[in-house]
Amino acid sequence: MKKVLALVMALAMLLSVACAEGFSGNVKIWVADAVVDFTQQQVDAFKAANPEYAGMTVTIEPVGEGDAASNMITDVEGGADLYGFAQDQLARLVAAGALIDVAPENADVVEKENDAGAVSAVKMGDTMYAYPMTSDNGYFLYYDKSVVTDPTDLEKVLEDCEKAGKNFYMEINSGWYQTAFFFGAGCTLTYDSDDSGNLTGINCDYATENGVKALKSMIKVAQSPAFVNGSSASNATNIGAIVDGTWDANTMMDLLGDNFAATKLPTVDGYQLGGFGGFKMLGVKPQTDEDKLAACDALAAYLTSEDVQLARYEAVQWGPSNLNAQKNEAVQSNVALAALAEQLAYAVPQGQYPGDYWSLATALGDDVIGKNLDGKTDEELLATLQQFQDTAATYVTK
Amino acid sequence: MTDLEFLKLSKPQKIGYQFLQFLKKVPMAIISGIKKLFLGLWAVLVGLGHEIADVFSTFVHGDWKTRLSFLVMGFGNAARGQWLRGILFFLFQTVFNLYMVNFGISYLAKFNTLGTVETTRQGRVTVYGDNSFYILLYGILTICFVIAFIYTWRVNVKQNKLGQMYLKNGHRLKTGREDIRSFADEEFHKTLLALPVLGIFTFTILPIIFMILVAFTNFDYEHQPPSKLFTWVGWSNFQTLLSSGGANFGDTFRQVLFWTLLWAFFATFLNYFLGMFVAIMINRKGIKLKKMWRTILVMTIAIPQFVSLLYVSKMFAADGLINGVLMRWGWIKEPLPFWTDPTWARVTIIVINLWIGIPYLMLIATGILMNIPADLYESARMDGANAFQMYAKITLPYMLFVTGPYLLTSFTGNINNFNVIFLLSGGKPLSMNLAGNAGYTDLLITWLYKMTVNDTNYKLAAVIGILVFVVTAVINLVVYNLMPSVKNEEDFQ
Repeated sequence: MKKVLALVMALAMLLSVACAEGFSGNVKIWVADAVVDFTQQQVDAFKAANPEYAGMTVTIEPVGEGDAASNMITDVEGGADLYGFAQDQLARLVAAGALIDVAPENADVVEKENDAGAVSAVKMGDTMYAYPMTSDNGYFLYYDKSVVTDPTDLEKVLEDCEKAGKNFYMEINSGWYQTAFFFGAGCTLTYDSDDSGNLTGINCDYATENGVKALKSMIKVAQSPAFVNGSSASNATNIGAIVDGTWDANTMMDLLGDNFAATKLPTVDGYQLGGFGGFKMLGVKPQTDEDKLAACDALAAYLTSEDVQLARYEAVQWGPSNLNAQKNEAVQSNVALAALAEQLAYAVPQGQYPGDYWSLATALGDDVIGKNLDGKTDEELLATLQQFQDTAATYVTK
Repeated sequence: MTDLEFLKLSKPQKIGYQFLQFLKKVPMAIISGIKKLFLGLWAVLVGLGHEIADVFSTFVHGDWKTRLSFLVMGFGNAARGQWLRGILFFLFQTVFNLYMVNFGISYLAKFNTLGTVETTRQGRVTVYGDNSFYILLYGILTICFVIAFIYTWRVNVKQNKLGQMYLKNGHRLKTGREDIRSFADEEFHKTLLALPVLGIFTFTILPIIFMILVAFTNFDYEHQPPSKLFTWVGWSNFQTLLSSGGANFGDTFRQVLFWTLLWAFFATFLNYFLGMFVAIMINRKGIKLKKMWRTILVMTIAIPQFVSLLYVSKMFAADGLINGVLMRWGWIKEPLPFWTDPTWARVTIIVINLWIGIPYLMLIATGILMNIPADLYESARMDGANAFQMYAKITLPYMLFVTGPYLLTSFTGNINNFNVIFLLSGGKPLSMNLAGNAGYTDLLITWLYKMTVNDTNYKLAAVIGILVFVVTAVINLVVYNLMPSVKNEEDFQ
């Protein structure tokens, strides 16, 4: 049996050498709805520039970044060969065996050409698992110039919103936005990971004086009548100010018109709000066919190259992660991206987090919003944070 | 207690006495249930013993045709002239053998470990190892096939015994043509049911068995085919879910179960009584524009729940219409915590559900109310009964009698009422006091959904699925046997 297998494999090797380079089968790509047409154009350009791949059939399907990760995990074999996703899904995808590491010949280029945050975001341990596509998944403050007079101080922002009968939106029950307070106050929460997608350790100091300070700020913000938990500009009805990202820039411009403004997050209780800098990336599924894998690698590298990132910015305003593309004039003059760049100075590149972290953070946020923590002493708040920290530590793979 | 003594008791005493009697019956009912179970099992064992004995005696008393049929299925049938049956039996045996050799055995052999070969990498190319998912699925399928084969083999043996006996007694055996004709005649039920039974097996029974077995594996986030293996872990998932202490799955499960039952109770009975109340109001003689009132209420049914519930959910949000208006009027200083406070959220959901549920009940009740003989009310009025007495003695018993089964199904339906909860609150608010991403308004069914879709925690989701079944089955059996429509079938005929 083993001999037969060896023979078959040898034959397969011979065959793959015989028709070396080039691939003409099917490749399926999942990208967000907004960039389907754009990706189609780029794929056509890729095929034109690389004649050995001209016979390849590429199917592009609109699957949002969140759905893409969930669908891939549910059915790896039926999923797309190339897919775009946001970095919070990376650990899950690697653990589920839905990502192959970046081809060695591309890894160096990716490392050199993209910003350091994006590069650290696509790595588990020392292994690079995806191609950075954008560096714009951060949040900052959009505000109505006619309502907010001083966007540098959160208390003044809230005061102005209250006075004008407008709302201040921030999704403090999300593990993503919540870190603005904790990281801003000087806390850390990161997980160590190994090359195969396991989280091996946690570095968390939420249960400290700084953590209590951050939690108290959150409680104070949640007590303001102007505060509304939320981060989707299109779902908000009465915006004075909102903590949101670049993806809502157009919605905000339409909503606020001439009063549209964006800047870094304000300070609160004497510290600057921090948070996550996030990234979108393109992943390649593990393949059983070497030629197809090479084709997927080449296509992924192309779709995340400097030129394509710039073109993507021009088409749908996704901020590039490529260092040269970031220096482009058009990119630098974008109001929302400028605000993000300003905020990113205070933000931490988002590393790898277990899926359970996000629900745990939502639970803490819901406790704050539900006023379960109002009137608690510092000791009691510290106990809550200790519980948070202990629970977060249990997510480490044993 | 004699009847006379019972009649002397005051109303609360009577209820208390009856309740005590009910409680006294419970242990006996449980014991007799267990007894029935064991008797049933015993009967099955005895039946199996008879079958095996019959197989042996068939072999001992059988001629060479019969004996050869034990190895080559259908041989006896064919040798006795029943070619069609013989060929079908033989075909089945061939297909079964081919399936087992080429496919079944390999899955069955790995069924006890669910696979041992890990996925590996040859250079940059991935070589997938065993796929635990397929091993489990096809393992179950193979076991079912084996059972079907044993059953068919048994039928084959029995037919040989009968055929041999018939010929000995000078009877004639059915020909193939007669067999085919019988499927349109005395065997017509088999023709009709073949397709549905096959469908129910593939789309219902097989997935249910699969799901039940997943509860005994560690199929989750860290053990996902095709790149990772999962395996059997015994009862440990049940232990996780039923354990206690701290913010763990055990306490969260009890919390969610409590709210699920509370919700089902209120959603069913509040809707029922208020719906009936509205129907009675509209039915009253003095009310004008009856049709208009009914149309207005039925409008909520006409709008799809996906639209109306999502919209209402937005209306009650912190920056929604309701809070906005109340604040503008100066009635409240800050938004009411409709969706952020556990108790508020629960009450809000129950109240909004009234708005959806009452129209349905109103429609059902209207039809039944019109059916109650008017002379009952007339004679009651002559005897000097007031409106409430008439309601309690005539309307309610009649309604309960007719709608008892409906109440039960709607209670069960509400235990699994995914739409309302998911669209209104999504199970929120969450809390650090709850484990497994559960929220204070999560039903077991929405929690299960979150576990499978967001957390890929299939093992615990399967356990919850089994427990939901246990809960609904127990409630259904108990309540069904207490229902007037079952107990006193003739009352209203």
